Amino acid sequence: MKENVVVIGGGVAGMEAARQLLLLGYNPIVVEQQDHLGGHVAQWNCLFPDMASAGDLVRNLGDGITDANIFLETRVTFVNRLQEGYLVMLSNGVNIACRAILVATGFKLFDAARKEEYGYGVYDHVVTNADLESWFNGNTSDRFPEAPRSIGFVHCVGSRDLKAGNSQCSKVCCITAVKQAIEMKERFPDARVFCFYMDLRLFGKKYEDFYIRAQQEFGIQFIRGRVSEVGETLDGRLQVKAEDTLSGKPLKVQLDLLVLMAGMSCNPDVADLARMARLDIDSDGFLRSRDNLGGINASNRPGIFYAGACTGAKTVPEVLAEARSAALAIHRYMTGR
Amino acid sequence: MIERFSSGFHPFVLPFLAGMVFVLGYCVYGIVRILFQLTGEDRRRFFLSLVTPRTALKNVKDIFCDCLLHVKLWKRNRMLGFMHSSIAFGWFMIIVLGHVEVMLFLPERIRLFYYPIFFNFFVAETDSTIQGSLLFFLMDFFLLVILIGIALAMVKRVRSRLFGMRRTPRPSLLNQIGLYSLWAIFPLRLLAESFTAHISGGSFLTIPANWVFRQFLGNDLNMLPTWWAYSIALGVFMSVLPFTRYMHIPAEMMLIPMRNAGLKVRNARKGFARVQVYSCPNCGVCIDACPMSVDKANLKDCTVYLTRQMRRGNERRIAEISDKCLLCGKCEAVCQVGVEGPKLRLLNRAERKYAVKADYSGIPAASLAEAAKGGKVLYYGGCMSQLVPSVGRSMESIFRKAGVDYTWMDRDGGVCCGRPMLTAGRLEEARKIVRKNTEVILGSGAETMVVSCPICYKMFTEEYALPGIRVVHYAGYMEELLKEGLLVPSRSDLCYVYHDPCELGRGCGIYEEPRRLLGKLAGIAEAEKNRAESVCCGGSLGSLTLSFAKREKITRAALENLYTSKADAIATACPLCTATFARYADRPVRDLAEIVDRQTVGKLKLETI
Amino acid sequence: MTDFGFKLSKSATLDLDKADTGLYERLCSLEPDARICMNCGSCSATCTAAPFSGMSLRKVILGLQRGQDVRPMLQGCMLCGKCSMVCPRGINTRHLLLTLCRIYD
Repeated sequence: MKENVVVIGGGVAGMEAARQLLLLGYNPIVVEQQDHLGGHVAQWNCLFPDMASAGDLVRNLGDGITDANIFLETRVTFVNRLQEGYLVMLSNGVNIACRAILVATGFKLFDAARKEEYGYGVYDHVVTNADLESWFNGNTSDRFPEAPRSIGFVHCVGSRDLKAGNSQCSKVCCITAVKQAIEMKERFPDARVFCFYMDLRLFGKKYEDFYIRAQQEFGIQFIRGRVSEVGETLDGRLQVKAEDTLSGKPLKVQLDLLVLMAGMSCNPDVADLARMARLDIDSDGFLRSRDNLGGINASNRPGIFYAGACTGAKTVPEVLAEARSAALAIHRYMTGR
Repeated sequence: MIERFSSGFHPFVLPFLAGMVFVLGYCVYGIVRILFQLTGEDRRRFFLSLVTPRTALKNVKDIFCDCLLHVKLWKRNRMLGFMHSSIAFGWFMIIVLGHVEVMLFLPERIRLFYYPIFFNFFVAETDSTIQGSLLFFLMDFFLLVILIGIALAMVKRVRSRLFGMRRTPRPSLLNQIGLYSLWAIFPLRLLAESFTAHISGGSFLTIPANWVFRQFLGNDLNMLPTWWAYSIALGVFMSVLPFTRYMHIPAEMMLIPMRNAGLKVRNARKGFARVQVYSCPNCGVCIDACPMSVDKANLKDCTVYLTRQMRRGNERRIAEISDKCLLCGKCEAVCQVGVEGPKLRLLNRAERKYAVKADYSGIPAASLAEAAKGGKVLYYGGCMSQLVPSVGRSMESIFRKAGVDYTWMDRDGGVCCGRPMLTAGRLEEARKIVRKNTEVILGSGAETMVVSCPICYKMFTEEYALPGIRVVHYAGYMEELLKEGLLVPSRSDLCYVYHDPCELGRGCGIYEEPRRLLGKLAGIAEAEKNRAESVCCGGSLGSLTLSFAKREKITRAALENLYTSKADAIATACPLCTATFARYADRPVRDLAEIVDRQTVGKLKLETI
Repeated sequence: MTDFGFKLSKSATLDLDKADTGLYERLCSLEPDARICMNCGSCSATCTAAPFSGMSLRKVILGLQRGQDVRPMLQGCMLCGKCSMVCPRGINTRHLLLTLCRIYD
């Protein structure tokens, strides 16, 4: 009889962890709120730094967990502490007794409409990074002009922003903006493309290469200044105001499309789970790991483990690596080693 | 009625007499000083109002209703109203009746002003004074009324919630002395009058009490100590009165005529301001009203503490309290005596000196005016509207739909209206901004100016002189467009709760236009606290020092108030409120213009179909 | 300064060893938030006064850190408060500006 491990969240973290748990001889039960696996990544088109297909990644991960129990469109309704382990009750009526739970609840994409000054939901041609990926995936929308002459990307929308309730950096937006800027320039070679940034945080492998390509091959203009206002000109184009902090002058530019790089904020649904299982929440709203060095997978409760963006903003490779280490941590916990 | 002492004097009246002379002297000195602090014109206006029959009559009526009957308190809470009016009116009646007694029976003693107070000690009843029994009855009756009031006051000390108050100010030591001596006065009077009731006569309270006392205290010598105690209680009360909140009793009688004379506070510390400070009765209604007091924070920063610190002259705290306030005006709206808390704070801010003076010579007013030319209607969105683009965008759409010939004055950024500078207390710099804008607006050639931000609207209507230009708030303007049929409404199923922005509601008295407008377009619900008691969104520019984190709590509390309406969405008429609420609201927050734009079709368009 | 009929051209280098940052330190003691500015430029981008006077709160704070005279910029401020609305670090920019105008010597 294989031992149950409940994996809450069927994004890439939950999928990879489930795959590893299967290999280690456990019976992972993946509980996913939505009607598909893969979470946010499943909505994306392609991923930095190799421009690999996001769909392929999710499919590969899915192939690895065909033997696992997967409950889609299901929520955790209650978590009960048992003598040894937990009883997890699901919204579909299934109750699962297990010794270990893996929380892989991920993040919530920041709602760009909360930054009123950017006019998301007010101006048609103001879209988010997620809208753009969806458009890359072939979902047409009249919010994307046919032949944009100029396109802008705003970094840090809802990240590093106390007013938006997220003071942390979302880590992936800088490189995503560079990636998407290149992709747009490839589609519209004549368009001028601007990236408005506060700091370019291109820390990962190959990220700097991306940056150089964006400058060298694609002529993307990087402007160091946070956009503060988006207005409309008389002929209906977007007018963006920022400060060009490097020349120390106010700057304005007319655009046909403005892409807001919405950041990662904590998943608000986690609050219920945290209350039921008495998990600590960190000051940024994300779940608090036991420590942020060696104990990143461990929670403050025995038998409950974390993987992925539920503890903070992370890139896909980081999430996958964490999922594997979480599976090993669970294995160590189960075998008492 | 005959006199028991031919001298008409007994040493026990001395404590009372000393207190009385002191308090009268203090008040006369105070009044003279305040009158001298007024500007010449204000002083003339004040004296003129005193002899103008209409204002003089209003003064008497207001003093009677506000100081004695506490009419406004009754409206707030009946228990609170009864408590205050029973003590104030009862005491007033006892003093009046005392004088009536003296005038009736011993008119030659009316010049001794302790006589009416201690009348029952100095006289003995004779058969001829049976006509006084009505007066004796009334005396006992009003004493009973006061005693009930005092009993309620004692209950209020422990259970203020019964009186509709969650928080009451902590009384200082002198205030406590004043309070306890006030509480002691009337039971002691009852005792004193009871001990002498078999000589002086009495009524339903004093005669039975006298009978009870005589059963076990047969000795007449007992009466003197109680009269001494009564006099001492009065003396103590009156000698601490100028240093306690009870100073509001004489001060309010000065405040009412000054207000009726149309005087304005011009200086933070002098003249009318001083009268207001002393008129604060420390009732603490403003503590619960203050939006900053959420989560028991900033409790000591509401108006009752401002007046206290201003009396003490604690400059550090005065500056702190003055700077922190959101200037939402709610304390003033609920204040029973009409202390203008926000105004006092603003003037305290204005006392500050700044080394760097503003210089707006770089603003090219002439060319801005040139750019604003063209339309009959000049639209001014204000600075904050640029951070809430839906407002300006909706206004433009509305103008176009209705076929209005308009120009958007600050489409590409404009000059601030000057109110933020004004509320920071930099009045001279604010005037410099006003001059610039006036030049632009007058130069634009427009007939009507539509303003969508209530902060700016208040500024334009109060501080600008714009001859020939009608300044109108956008709610009223949009209502006109609907009335004229230029916009045709189509109702939404959504139910909105309307949030009264401070500057629009309490600031400009506009409560109904936005509601009427909204009512034509969608469902409308009311929050628990609305209109004049609406809760500030917390984003107000009025506060200079409140941190972002503290504002968040205020905003969340204001949202909770709006949620009580169970509406689907929040509507408001201020870009600052919209931006502030949108940060934390769990339901959509929309500006009036946005709703009007969504729910109307232009007449022109309808005709072409 | 006495006019000698000629001027010594100022060095183009910011010499941090010689920069007088006394005013900045005084400002920070009164407004500790002055230290957390990350120079993002939001305030300057949204500033109502910027188009007329070159006002930039970001440059004001930076200028003080470098010991420069920032008065010409301060004089253009209308205190409209947009900068306090957009500051991602939640700095109370209006009070910071008021304090600076008050303590400038």
